[in-house]
Amino acid sequence: MKALTIAGLVVFLLITLVPFWWIASMSFKTYEQIQFAQSIYVPRPFTWENYTALWTGSRFPLWLRNSLVTAFVVTAITTVIASLAGYAVARLRFPGRESVASLILILYLVPPALLFIPLYRVLAELGATNSLAALFLSYPTFTVPFCTWLLIGFFKALPKELEEAAFVDGATRTTALIRVLLPLAAPGIVASAIFAFTLSWNEFLYALVFIQDETSITVPVGLNLLIYGDVFSWGQLMAASVITTLPVIALYMFIQRWMVEGLAAGSVKG
Amino acid sequence: MPKDTLAAFLFLLPLFILVVALIAYPFYRALWLSLTDKLVGYPERFVGLQNYIYLLNDDTFREVVRNTMVFTVGSVAAKVLTGLAMALVLNHVWRWRNFFRGLFLLPWITSSVIIALTWRWMFDSFPGRGFFNSVLIDLGLLSGPIAFMASPEGAMLAVIVANWWRGFPFFGVSYLAGMQAISLELYDAAAVDGAGPWQRFWHVTLPGLKHVMVVTVVLSLILTINDFNIIYVMTRGGPGTATQVLATYSYEVAFNQLRWGRGVTVSIFLVPLLVVGIALVSRYLLRERN
Repeated sequence: MKALTIAGLVVFLLITLVPFWWIASMSFKTYEQIQFAQSIYVPRPFTWENYTALWTGSRFPLWLRNSLVTAFVVTAITTVIASLAGYAVARLRFPGRESVASLILILYLVPPALLFIPLYRVLAELGATNSLAALFLSYPTFTVPFCTWLLIGFFKALPKELEEAAFVDGATRTTALIRVLLPLAAPGIVASAIFAFTLSWNEFLYALVFIQDETSITVPVGLNLLIYGDVFSWGQLMAASVITTLPVIALYMFIQRWMVEGLAAGSVKG
Repeated sequence: MPKDTLAAFLFLLPLFILVVALIAYPFYRALWLSLTDKLVGYPERFVGLQNYIYLLNDDTFREVVRNTMVFTVGSVAAKVLTGLAMALVLNHVWRWRNFFRGLFLLPWITSSVIIALTWRWMFDSFPGRGFFNSVLIDLGLLSGPIAFMASPEGAMLAVIVANWWRGFPFFGVSYLAGMQAISLELYDAAAVDGAGPWQRFWHVTLPGLKHVMVVTVVLSLILTINDFNIIYVMTRGGPGTATQVLATYSYEVAFNQLRWGRGVTVSIFLVPLLVVGIALVSRYLLRERN
């Protein structure tokens, strides 16, 4: 049994790590090494030239800026809307509460592939296409339902007694929310914000459809443009992939534990 | 407390505005567009169900539906099997289990565009030789590089692999949590009755995972059947139309052929399926929340 477990671990380590290693090692190779399949498995000699070329000779820094701005704005919008809605559904008593909860879940499952054409028309009529504003408006359509769903579960799990104790002490609902509940909910809100950030950071379809102007595109669209250019260095593409993936991995390590529990709770408990 | 209703209304208002303006209204527009012959640059004209009838009789659309089914069933089946294997392995690991679980989840948080680019290059024979060609040649199993991505079967296999790689960690983590929720007494009882490891897996573990399996499979079906990113970046639906699926075909018809009415109709064909899937998952997920 033990040997089998170790063998299984090795297999899954290989499956997981080989593509990441492929990205990283290619990003440190010269154009010739890649083109003529030299030193395939390990970059020898090792070079930073892809990173410097990417940083100084392409529009990548601009795309990175666009992606960052979009992710921050969308995360801020999402966190406000989702926290308010999540709190209301989890803690307030009002008619139709169950229906609102189902509605949020249903919205979370509506695929972007269904809406991109009509959304494009709506955004064009608002004059929002071809700028990051299109993404500020459209990304919350998937981040908000997802984060609200997470936060409903999170607010529900907080002990009711604390809030009630605050009411007994004469606090209004708003003070109880701000002073008592928000600090307790902070980890959940941070985790949901990181989810919103990651979803925006990785989004491709809306960014591809809604923005044509090359100065306003985000990283995923930019990367896709690069491979269809005439002669492009795959080394630079892989360097860009490394730079784009690292912040997500860093954020994720920060919330890993909570995220895994939240994921599992979403489909397991019962 | 009647005050709650007013507070709830105010707290939910931003969400409602978002939903009505940017989800419900566009969806209504999609339904309307599918009943018109909207071409970019021309005013739309109502044509009834003409787009639907056209697509049902169109050979390309039929191939797209077939490709979508192969892609979806292939990826989801592979995710279930590897997810189960991953959960079984992690369930037997005692040290650093959380570390490995976190490591195996990395594909799931990586951008699908980057995943698609990477796998495309690992399969492709250009530039250089790609990963699989290099390994097979160095092992002496191949004499020269093969262009996997140039054949219809190879391209389909490649997009399925890339989609599987991104998705299986989610299955693994969910099944691991499901396995840990199964009471150890059930295993002890089965062992007392003389059940071997395989019988315990078959009669205790699998039934215990039924709930989480239904949820992960239906969730993944909904996501995979609508996948755009991986296929668009890896193959653009090619070679020919060998990997064209509903989402990429809808994009192709709307933005390359500029037939918006027909492009929207392609994706609307999925709505009945989505309704069934969403109804199924939400029943399961809402039941456990209450």
